[in-house]
Amino acid sequence: MKKFYLMLLLVVGMVVLAACSSGDEEASGGSGSEGSSDVDTITAWAWDPAFNIAALEHAKEAYNGDGEYEVNVIENAQDDIIQKLNTGLSSGTTNGMPNIVLIEDYRAQSFLQAYPDAFHPLTDVINSDDFADYKIATTSFEGEQYGLPFDSGVAALYVRTDYLEEAGYTVEDVTNITWQEYIEIGKDVKETTGKNMLTLDPNDLAQVRMMIQTNGSWYVEEDGSTPNLAGNETLEKAFETYKEMMDADIAKIVSDWSQFVGAFNSGDVASVPTGNWITPSVKQAADQSGNWAVVPMPRLDMEGAVNASNLGGSSWYVLNVDGKEQAADFLLNTFGSNPDLYQTLVKEIGALGTYSPAAEGDAYAVEDEFFGGQQLITDLSTWTDEIPAVNYGLHTYAIEDILVTGMQDYLNGAELTTVLENVQGQAEAQLK
Amino acid sequence: MKMKKKAFLILRNNSLFIKMFLIMVISIVAVSLLITFSSIRMSSNLFMDTFSISNTKALEQIETQFEDYSYAIVGATHEVQNNGTIKRVLTQTNASTLETYRSYHDISQQIERIYRTVESYDANMIVLGNNERLYNVNYSNWPVSWEVLRNHPITEYTINRPNTLLYQYLPSTSFTDEPMIVATKALMERSTGEIYGVLYFPIREAQLKQFYEGYTSVENEVLLVDATGKIVSSNKQDMIGEEANDILAMAKEVDEEQLEFKDAHVFDTDYLLMSQYLPTYNMYLVNLVNKDAVLDNLINTKEILLISLGIVLLAVIVVFLISRRMTNSISRLVKQISAMAKHDFNMPVAETGGYEAKKIANAFNSMLSELQEYVNLVVLAQQKQRSAELMALQHQINPHFLYNTLASIKFMIQQGKKEKATDMIHALISLLQNALSNVDQTITVEQEITDLKNYVLINQARYGDGIKVNFFISPDCLDRQLPKLILQPFIENAFFHAFNEKKEGFVQILVSQKGDNLLCEIADNGDGMEIKGDHTKEDIKEKRHLFSGIGIRNVHERIQLLYGEEYGVEITSKKGEGTKVKVELPLQKTDVSTKSKEITRT
Repeated sequence: MKKFYLMLLLVVGMVVLAACSSGDEEASGGSGSEGSSDVDTITAWAWDPAFNIAALEHAKEAYNGDGEYEVNVIENAQDDIIQKLNTGLSSGTTNGMPNIVLIEDYRAQSFLQAYPDAFHPLTDVINSDDFADYKIATTSFEGEQYGLPFDSGVAALYVRTDYLEEAGYTVEDVTNITWQEYIEIGKDVKETTGKNMLTLDPNDLAQVRMMIQTNGSWYVEEDGSTPNLAGNETLEKAFETYKEMMDADIAKIVSDWSQFVGAFNSGDVASVPTGNWITPSVKQAADQSGNWAVVPMPRLDMEGAVNASNLGGSSWYVLNVDGKEQAADFLLNTFGSNPDLYQTLVKEIGALGTYSPAAEGDAYAVEDEFFGGQQLITDLSTWTDEIPAVNYGLHTYAIEDILVTGMQDYLNGAELTTVLENVQGQAEAQLK
Repeated sequence: MKMKKKAFLILRNNSLFIKMFLIMVISIVAVSLLITFSSIRMSSNLFMDTFSISNTKALEQIETQFEDYSYAIVGATHEVQNNGTIKRVLTQTNASTLETYRSYHDISQQIERIYRTVESYDANMIVLGNNERLYNVNYSNWPVSWEVLRNHPITEYTINRPNTLLYQYLPSTSFTDEPMIVATKALMERSTGEIYGVLYFPIREAQLKQFYEGYTSVENEVLLVDATGKIVSSNKQDMIGEEANDILAMAKEVDEEQLEFKDAHVFDTDYLLMSQYLPTYNMYLVNLVNKDAVLDNLINTKEILLISLGIVLLAVIVVFLISRRMTNSISRLVKQISAMAKHDFNMPVAETGGYEAKKIANAFNSMLSELQEYVNLVVLAQQKQRSAELMALQHQINPHFLYNTLASIKFMIQQGKKEKATDMIHALISLLQNALSNVDQTITVEQEITDLKNYVLINQARYGDGIKVNFFISPDCLDRQLPKLILQPFIENAFFHAFNEKKEGFVQILVSQKGDNLLCEIADNGDGMEIKGDHTKEDIKEKRHLFSGIGIRNVHERIQLLYGEEYGVEITSKKGEGTKVKVELPLQKTDVSTKSKEITRT
């Protein structure tokens, strides 16, 4: 009996010792050193149950690697994710941090630059050539690839073929045009049908963003932080084009999403230039089936500008915490190398990825009756490859807040160069 | 019957134990029950009191939170009402695209500035203009279009009460949206009284809940009940949107009568209901404390009962064992003592059991042995006294006998019967010699017979030869021992009493061996007598002793004293036929005289 107790004591002691030593390992792994340990569960954060959360669930099913771990998908509001990441990473604690997190492309650089060691590089994990160039630019930092591109934000021009026809235009007439040509067509459309050509939100310069990316330009320089506003010819051109639209009186002014969606669903506008993620909203008005077509984004009337742009989009990132190997393994064997998964994503949730090999799949070639039998996904993914790569940098939204006011001044008659110089000054003062 | 008797016996033998045990058990159970229940009651009362106090404090804290929020809303509302830009944009009609563009920008700048006052509460802010303009700060919070909102019942309600800031409940209509509490205020042009828009501050119930969620728990629920009796917010999700007019009534009562709390039975549960009226919201903040759950958490009644039960059981077992041990030894003692008489008070009791029982048994035993000693002493003393008496009697040679004998001798000498006188003197001398020696000493039968012959000679010399005496002695008895003067009293008796009527007769003396006994018989053929009773010496009338103090009555006693019960004197007599005396003695040889002494001592 005594022997038994002795043995029990021994066993308990060993377990305690083992627990202690494994605890040490965790601690060293957490401090960001090379030490690593396997975990049973990895956590992934995303924000939209209908979109990126659903994509993760499909990815879990499609996983074809040989890792043995659970993937725990947690839904958080996007603002909460940003706040939690900022709080956690700036305090240096990895406690409660996920293994995989989805970050919007416009914000990605600010995280990569602010917390260089917090993310696990995927350079050796994925093949960057398989993804659209512009995505690689936004998801890499200092030559290392950090993000695995998720959805494409490829922008397109959704047009009402019936209104165009009424005004004497065909789909070909709006394909691969410049914004100037677009404005001219808009004028005719307004004249003949009384409908505005597009909606504009004074507080959201998405229109400007899409315009300048057609020429490979952005609010900031290549370094991602220096404001590139005054003397930015592309931006000047975009502002001018924007003013022309206002002057031509072809824009319906909206102030929020409901008015934006309401405008095209109720047939108030003849076209919607925006990201491809609007497709489901456009299709909401089932009575308009067959009256829509999707054409490439108009380009700025400049040398080098292309008929392709982007709006929004996000990518997966792996945090440098325990389980990063598993997280990288999971991403590689799902979004990183599985064309079938992309077929599923397109079919089930309408999510268009930027993984080039997936474009050859059947799901991409499906003809969409709503858009007159157009092979929409194939077209969109083709245009994706043409999007000029830009570095979105750190301050997209901060600069845009300043630009909104600058646009007001410009529309109210101020000199463009002065306006942009003002804006540049403000931005430099605010962001330094 | 036997069983019953046995059971009764067991009961009687253990009565002390049963009494003690029962009393102990009853007291233990009673004490623990009383303590258990009174402590449960006391602590629950105390807890309820403190709980209601702390919850009232909590309610006040929550009220402060609500007031803060309300204050923020009021501030924001004031700013919106006094904001010229907003009024301009909302009253603007027929504006150009550029004007619209500017207006939208301006109003958003203003509203975003004002929104900061309520932003920290996660509330949304919506401004609705009659000119189809809508500004929704956080669209995803409430994705509503102008048409829907303009025709919404809460808008109608607000427009009908343009001067009041109203808080209205908006239930969840689909699975995507959540219930909201919307603060609404109509925007009115003061000079004309025209309403140009409506201001909304929708806050999701989940956000509002955070004002009080920290104070709640499963058993401590907080409800926000509006004036129509609808539960607009609660930490219990499934209560939201329920009609609860009974709660509203009780909340009103608590608030109006300034009660601390009220016992309420709602949702099939007993609650303590505390309430606080929120005047700005026109709602009641109700705190329901589930009595049972709270008390269950605080006082684990089951556990307390189990503990007291355990203590009672343990105490009962201990009491059982101890009292059993104590009473058992006492009962055993009592049993032994009651049986004492059976053993002639000779048997000491066993000294076992507890300390007290041992002591008692010990004391009893020493008392018993003392008693024994005293009894022995008394017996010895009596024996000594008896033999002293006998000795004294034996030594008392009757002076008359001597006088008469000597007188007879004198006459004989005077008559010249010299030889006869010499014989008589010889006989007297021999008689006296034997008589005066130790009374305890035994003599041989031969000697006794010699003494008797001398005695007979003296008597015949004095009184004549009318009475003949014959001796028949078995030769094998001659050297047997017997106490001296044991037969003399019977011969004396025969001489002086048996021949009062008849003047002549004979006395026969027989000594023989009968089995292990020595049998001496003195038979006469004299007058005889009536014998009543059991034929023993008591019936023989004793008058006076003519030779020594020893009478026939003493003979019997003496024999029994010397040899035991089975020996003694037996007298048979018949009127007119004579008397027969039988004396039975043990057969003893000469050397046994010392032994006989020992026997008498035991």
